[in-house]
Amino acid sequence: METLLWQVEQLPGLLAVSRSGQVRDWDPPTLDRALQWGRYFQHLHGRFRAQPRLRAALGQRLRRGQPGPPLGFGHLGRCPELLGLALLGNRALPPAACHRLLRSLLLPPSGQATPGPCSLGLLARRRAAVQLLPPPPSSAPARPEELEPPLRTEAQLLLSRLQEDEEGQGPEGVLEKLPGPRVYRVLAALLLLEQAGDNAGREGASWAEHREGAGPAAAVLSWLLGDPGRLSAFCRLLPGSLLVALSARYPQLGTSYLRLLTSWGNRLRFDPLRGQWVSSRCLSEDELSWEELRERFRCFMRGPAQLREAALASLKNLKTQDGDFEVCGLSVWTDLLLEIALTRNLLSSSPHLLCLCQL
Amino acid sequence: MAQDTAVPKLSFQYWLNKAVEWGQTTTLESQQDVCLHLPKLQEFLQQIYESLKHMNSTTAIQRFPLIGQLLGRLCWNPFVVGYGKNLKLAFCKIHKKIILLCHLLSSSEWGANKVGTGTFISALGYTSADYYSKLVKNVSILNFFYFSRVSDDHVNVVSLFCIPLITLPDVTPLLEALLTYHGGRSQEVLSSEFLEAVNETFLKKKIALSESAILSLWLRHLPSLEKATLHLFERLISSQTSSLEEVACIIKDSLLPKAACHPAIFRIVDEIFKNALLETGGAPEVMTIIQMFTRCFVQAHQKDNKQHKFPLKAYFPHQHQPLVIALLKHPFDLSATLWSQHLKYITDMLKAIIEDKSIRTYADLFESWFLFVHFGEWADIAAEQLLKSEDESSDTFLWLLAFYYNPHNDKEKRTQILVEARAVYDRLMMLFSCTTLSVTDLQAAASTKTDKRQPCTKHLVRHLLISFLLFSSGGHKIAQEFISHVILASNTTNEVFGLLIRTAYRFNQLGLKNQRAVKLVNELLQELRFTD
Repeated sequence: METLLWQVEQLPGLLAVSRSGQVRDWDPPTLDRALQWGRYFQHLHGRFRAQPRLRAALGQRLRRGQPGPPLGFGHLGRCPELLGLALLGNRALPPAACHRLLRSLLLPPSGQATPGPCSLGLLARRRAAVQLLPPPPSSAPARPEELEPPLRTEAQLLLSRLQEDEEGQGPEGVLEKLPGPRVYRVLAALLLLEQAGDNAGREGASWAEHREGAGPAAAVLSWLLGDPGRLSAFCRLLPGSLLVALSARYPQLGTSYLRLLTSWGNRLRFDPLRGQWVSSRCLSEDELSWEELRERFRCFMRGPAQLREAALASLKNLKTQDGDFEVCGLSVWTDLLLEIALTRNLLSSSPHLLCLCQL
Repeated sequence: MAQDTAVPKLSFQYWLNKAVEWGQTTTLESQQDVCLHLPKLQEFLQQIYESLKHMNSTTAIQRFPLIGQLLGRLCWNPFVVGYGKNLKLAFCKIHKKIILLCHLLSSSEWGANKVGTGTFISALGYTSADYYSKLVKNVSILNFFYFSRVSDDHVNVVSLFCIPLITLPDVTPLLEALLTYHGGRSQEVLSSEFLEAVNETFLKKKIALSESAILSLWLRHLPSLEKATLHLFERLISSQTSSLEEVACIIKDSLLPKAACHPAIFRIVDEIFKNALLETGGAPEVMTIIQMFTRCFVQAHQKDNKQHKFPLKAYFPHQHQPLVIALLKHPFDLSATLWSQHLKYITDMLKAIIEDKSIRTYADLFESWFLFVHFGEWADIAAEQLLKSEDESSDTFLWLLAFYYNPHNDKEKRTQILVEARAVYDRLMMLFSCTTLSVTDLQAAASTKTDKRQPCTKHLVRHLLISFLLFSSGGHKIAQEFISHVILASNTTNEVFGLLIRTAYRFNQLGLKNQRAVKLVNELLQELRFTD
């Protein structure tokens, strides 16, 4: 066992060396040994995948290693690719070793079964395939099938990580580490995938249901809603239509979002000189312009009946609280309601004016 | 940059900008702009291809890092893709060139335009290998999700682009969606290169496709179906199958029997078999293959749950229907006591057809004979009945056997063959009850006074001899000897082997195990396999 742990601890060092100038002394047999180590680590991964305690122990040992991006147990399984990529990109590798490397990558080593599902050649073909298959035109996705493939992929991987939490960080631990604002887009994609049903984003994740507590979507939501700054950044970044689509499925999100819109709306002041609602200071992250606020509420109007009613009720309530004015310029909520009613009247009387209203 | 490049970098940037511009606006002016520029674009792409051809991949990817981007953008423009085949082929060729090694040799795990992704995925603790394995699937899914909204031209381009990717398992759902896609036009939407490539890869067993996808492929692309049939044929001829169960296995594996439940496919496969039979002059191996295929086909048809199944006789539309129905009754579906009666029924019908002056064209005779060949198990039964049953209908059975081995139109020839066969048969029957026989006795019975025996008669005589050896008590004892000395000496191993494995198959299917004949067949087969 101790030998195993010691061996695993060498992996970060091996990867670091493959990227450094030390490889200039490598001859083909040394290269072969390095590749053998790679395959050995992959083999370890396969053997201990299903044993949580050993997995955790090996993962811990890996992280004890050198500085640099932290490695986890999963990286053992990808060792051949990581090593191969590091060496391929290393200009210091002498030609003889380089030839040997290319040969071994293009032809699987003799006496071994076909390389595992993640060989370097397969990775290269997949990267090329992504280049080849034409990307469809992007539009604001409101349905899981319409998600842009890169975003969808990141969401699926995040989902996997939340379910397969090998290091026991818990959802918060995983989510904290992710760089925003990208994380918000990925979280939205994840929520969209989860809403589509059992098998939308998960592949072979039957153990998810057995986990204690709620599923990943609930964990993500509570993380988002738990911090007002996060929620605000999330709602600010994403388009209104997407947020409405998500609110339809996740009511807590809908409520919080409406509340947020309320607080944003309350910050607007009417400028009599320009005859418009403006924000009191220059637009910071916490503020929304009048046009955007209006557009966001319009998205609610285009949404399902339940949300439409909720938004209208909320607006009416706010209007009443503000003094129930019917004249423009006194309460932002009155004005919003007037705008929305105007749109709806136009819509109901002549549907083809819809395009005008959306300008 | 290098001055020797035939494609100036400036041009590249120009076209990339154009592609971006075209993608963003759809005004009439921009559409006209596209159409005006298309010939130049085609020239430009042709130039790129020429210069790529002579470069190694590292240089290629250094010079043209954005090729993928350019082509990706262009291919979504409906005017570009609708322009013509040449443009599309240019796309495809260029892509093929830069595919594998360019990514293998790129220097970073993620590539310059994916740094954000890289950071994100690493923060999750995953690698690019994990990312790309999922990404390809997602790109495929999104592509076929959009099929309902895009033009047939676009689908055509996607099919071209998929050609280098066919063996990548993640792309299989996209391939299947393409194969089952039916556009608005009556012409084929998918590129024929694509269809050919998919078929080739499938035949080499490098990918697994669903049955409906393969059926779709064969229905829409005749050359693929023909290749698949010929491929099956070659496999059967060249592989050293030692039992008909193996042959059946190979046939079922090819998915052709199931596909043949669609009458159009059946007709074509049948035609190919017919040609093979004609070209080999009625070789017994080919006849066996046809019989086994028909059997597998009938079984597939019976298992088919579709509501609108064609009746079996619809697959043989130009034949005498009562004959078809009679032949479709397989010996295994009837009890052995009814075999004689059924054989007489079949023979009477065949005789009527052959001798009816109103349909006596060679083609009709051949067609009736070809139909009978499909169900040639009945000929084997006839030979067995000749030796086993006490029936008075040996004439009928001999006629049937004679017909099976030579469908000549010439009445005189037929009569002559029958006479010879009858002579041999009578002599054999005289030896039937002898318990001690010698090889020479049997040889004498089988030989003819003159040496001018027709080849077809030889087949018939051999069949009678083998049946004799198996079903008579005297024949058993000398079977081994007779076969090794006489038959093998005349260089007819294959034929004898064929007859024996058919008999073995019949015994297996009927569940006969312990009879003397069964044991003898297996012993003989073992010997033959050993000496081969």
